Amino acid sequence: MSPMEGCPTVFQVICSLSPGYHQYKFYVDGEWRYDEHQPCVRGNYDVVNSVLITREPSSMDIDDGFNHPQEMVTPASISVADIDVSRHRISTFLSTHTAYELLPESGKVIALDVNLPVKQAFHILHEQGIPVAPLWDFCKGQFVGILSALDFILILRELGNHGSNLTEEELETHTISAWKEGKMHLSRQMDGNARSYPRHLIHAGPYDSLKDVAIKILQSKVATVPIIHSSSQDGSFPQILHLATLSGILKCICRNFKHSSSSLPVLQQPIYSIRVGTWVQEIAEVNGQPSTMKRPFAMLNKNASLGDALSLLVQAEVSSIPIVDENYSLVDIYSRSDITALAKDKAYAQIHLDQLSILQALQLGQDANHTYGFLNGQRCHMCLRSDPLHKVMEQLANPGVRRLVIVEAGSKRVEGIISLSDVFRFLLGV
Amino acid sequence: MNNQYGNKQDEATVMGFEVPRSPDSSYNNVYPGSEDEARDPPVVPPHLHHPLLSYPASRETPPGSLPLPQNVILNHLYIENRETPRSVVALGFTHRFRSKYVTVVLYKPVPRRGSSSN
Repeated sequence: MSPMEGCPTVFQVICSLSPGYHQYKFYVDGEWRYDEHQPCVRGNYDVVNSVLITREPSSMDIDDGFNHPQEMVTPASISVADIDVSRHRISTFLSTHTAYELLPESGKVIALDVNLPVKQAFHILHEQGIPVAPLWDFCKGQFVGILSALDFILILRELGNHGSNLTEEELETHTISAWKEGKMHLSRQMDGNARSYPRHLIHAGPYDSLKDVAIKILQSKVATVPIIHSSSQDGSFPQILHLATLSGILKCICRNFKHSSSSLPVLQQPIYSIRVGTWVQEIAEVNGQPSTMKRPFAMLNKNASLGDALSLLVQAEVSSIPIVDENYSLVDIYSRSDITALAKDKAYAQIHLDQLSILQALQLGQDANHTYGFLNGQRCHMCLRSDPLHKVMEQLANPGVRRLVIVEAGSKRVEGIISLSDVFRFLLGV
Repeated sequence: MNNQYGNKQDEATVMGFEVPRSPDSSYNNVYPGSEDEARDPPVVPPHLHHPLLSYPASRETPPGSLPLPQNVILNHLYIENRETPRSVVALGFTHRFRSKYVTVVLYKPVPRRGSSSN
């Protein structure tokens, strides 16, 4: 800091700050002081800092506090430069923050011994209301994998498959490690060319950048990456700290840019104009060329059976399927994680996959003490095609919400799905 | 009573100065028991009775977040207390990483007595 000209008792300094939320303090004559005339916040250990929220200067400055500028009725088409600027800012933010920020102040992680029988494991997942759990191997002293809803789906289908080698009784003692071995063997036989299942657990450390974690999640096509810390060089005595998901990272992004949304112009754009998500029909052309759908949109009629749903989840490689009626209006949604509801009262032992309809299967989960997937008591989270990206992001930042169904206003006709990975692929430009 | 070692029958004894025999009650051959072992172990201090492990997942707060732990329960291993015929036991542990707290609950199979281990 240097004294101002003409006024030697006033000091000034110019700092370059990125748009967002900053805390600052002055060190005056050997003492830390804060400016009482500015907004301030009290943090840990009674430390008080002044708060500065920087915004990008904009010509259309409708100053109603720190709200977003008014939504425009006809959105101006966004320029490529604007998209690049937004992507660059988000990329910078993600690169300069670490996975440590994803940890809650006091968090909980539930892990399973890899020698637990598979049946017990799914009861635990259901009781605790968690969708995935990391697997611990006492012999190796390491975390060796993750048990997820997809495993349960594959097991159920194998049980229903008459050529299965597993009887009901064997399921009682079949351990998770044996299941994972068998699965790897099976996938190597079937997938001659396709992606190989990872032999090692995909994980990240608490000092890895958020950008690395996000890219790891997108590239490995998993939903959760455990954050593991080991204080020794060879990775022994690992401590599991957190299960990182894209929704946690999105929450960090939303929290940081909440007060400076104009610095990310792409967030104001309605989702149909920037083509995020998977759409039933083509809405717009890309660069003047009609783009082709990579694969048909997965939807199921409400009278379909649970067996159809599970097969579709596996074949289409999607994590959820909207359930519609004859007019393609949204009735409900069946996600992979709903499979754990079958653990209630050992329903999986009594049902036949093809005889149970999806709606009945969902009914099983309704009464359970299920916190996962619920927000305000709602299972299906919807949005409109005209919703701006920031609104979609805020909804997706809620834990338990992994995708939004894009519906037509009024009729609730399904138009598409937008998921966390769609949003991240768009924001990171991968 | 029969002094097998060093039989001193030939030794002259003086009437009235014989070494008295030990009283019979002192020959009971009972192991000296430690009184400590008869007592119950000390009770768990009351401040350790409140780990974060019994908090059910609530709908309001984001899943996986708990209240801040008291310092005294950190780095203590808790074992779930359930009826004996249980095949799974839960172990719980809260520790601090930098300025945040992590509670890990690990579910472990309980080997049954008499069963063959793999």
